[in-house]
Amino acid sequence: MSFSEETLIAYADDELDAATRAAVEAAAAADPLLAQRIAQQRALRARLRAAFEPVLAEPVPERLLAAARGAPTRERADNVIEFQARPRPRWSWSQWGALAASLVLGVFLGPLLLRPAGAPVDTRGGRMLANVALSRALSEQLAGTAASAAPIEIGVSFRARSGAYCRTFVLREAGSLAGLACRERSAWQVLALAPAEGTSSAGGGYRQAASALPPPVARALDELIAGEPLDGAAEAAARAHGWKP
Amino acid sequence: MDELRAELVALLPRLRRFARALARNAADADDLVQVALERALAHAAQRRPDSQLAAWVFGILRNAWIDEQRARGRRARLFVPAESGAEIADAAGTAAPELLAVQQALARLPEEQRLAVALVLIEGLSYKEAAHVMEVPIGTLTSRLARARETLQSLLGATEANG
Repeated sequence: MSFSEETLIAYADDELDAATRAAVEAAAAADPLLAQRIAQQRALRARLRAAFEPVLAEPVPERLLAAARGAPTRERADNVIEFQARPRPRWSWSQWGALAASLVLGVFLGPLLLRPAGAPVDTRGGRMLANVALSRALSEQLAGTAASAAPIEIGVSFRARSGAYCRTFVLREAGSLAGLACRERSAWQVLALAPAEGTSSAGGGYRQAASALPPPVARALDELIAGEPLDGAAEAAARAHGWKP
Repeated sequence: MDELRAELVALLPRLRRFARALARNAADADDLVQVALERALAHAAQRRPDSQLAAWVFGILRNAWIDEQRARGRRARLFVPAESGAEIADAAGTAAPELLAVQQALARLPEEQRLAVALVLIEGLSYKEAAHVMEVPIGTLTSRLARARETLQSLLGATEANG
């Protein structure tokens, strides 16, 4: 009698009914090769389980105990991308103004505007619009093509759920800021802006591109994006059409 | 509710082990556990009375993991990925060599196969429970397990003699 690999695996996982189990055992008793295949499956299972066994004995971090008890805590390990802990609000295009106001003006942009290098945005009619240099980069530069010394690097381009095109960027010269802007009514509206992560703040020298978006910008991206980011061809096509939805 | 909290505390070591099988480093795994705990407490009312606590929270953790993978996939394309090297170095400093070897083999599996392995082989869930957590038919689970085991045997088999 021959058995499929899945049956042998199910045997090793103790998932067979009594009759099939007995048949496998009888066959294995008479067939050393079959017995060996079963032993291999069992050994793999035992090995995986043993490898992870020490994790059970590790002390549980206090923040997890607090979370299990329902204590309000916002502390997370450092330098780890923030997870989405709560259901995401579905912002519509018409609410973007409010989003921009709270994200950019209230929380993040305020302190940034005081930086000596100045902010890469202009306020017009209550909207935060990219300044001339940033607008030019957003309109013309393709993602990931900037020379290492370029002042502005485009991260990724994507379509928002509203249909508008949006792009993330890093400004190397303004104290290293990362942000997100969407094309709206013939202008680039900056919806999020925050100090870039993963950059050395010590003066001078080469700054590496941020390896992770600052959480406020990453959150804005997650809220806005529809589907996946544009690939190179789609991005070039969008640029050719002037980033019109 | 207090009973649920006590049960969650008791389940913490297993939740951390499950998350460790999915995530690439301990810090990410613990973040995942924290998100799952927060969601479990927020959605406690939606738990079916007859459902096993472990399977229910594993399902929540699995969904949180999938959400995070999607978000991470997008972010990974944003900027220079300086992550992978650092993570391996970080893991090498803290994890036992055997755990590291197994984690690296697991990392080579497609997500859905890794989940199946974590639930059945590491957490010891039955096929039925694991299929329920993964929201797939049992046949789908067993074929994922079979493919995952084949890959793991070839990746880990060579080092087994030394271990």
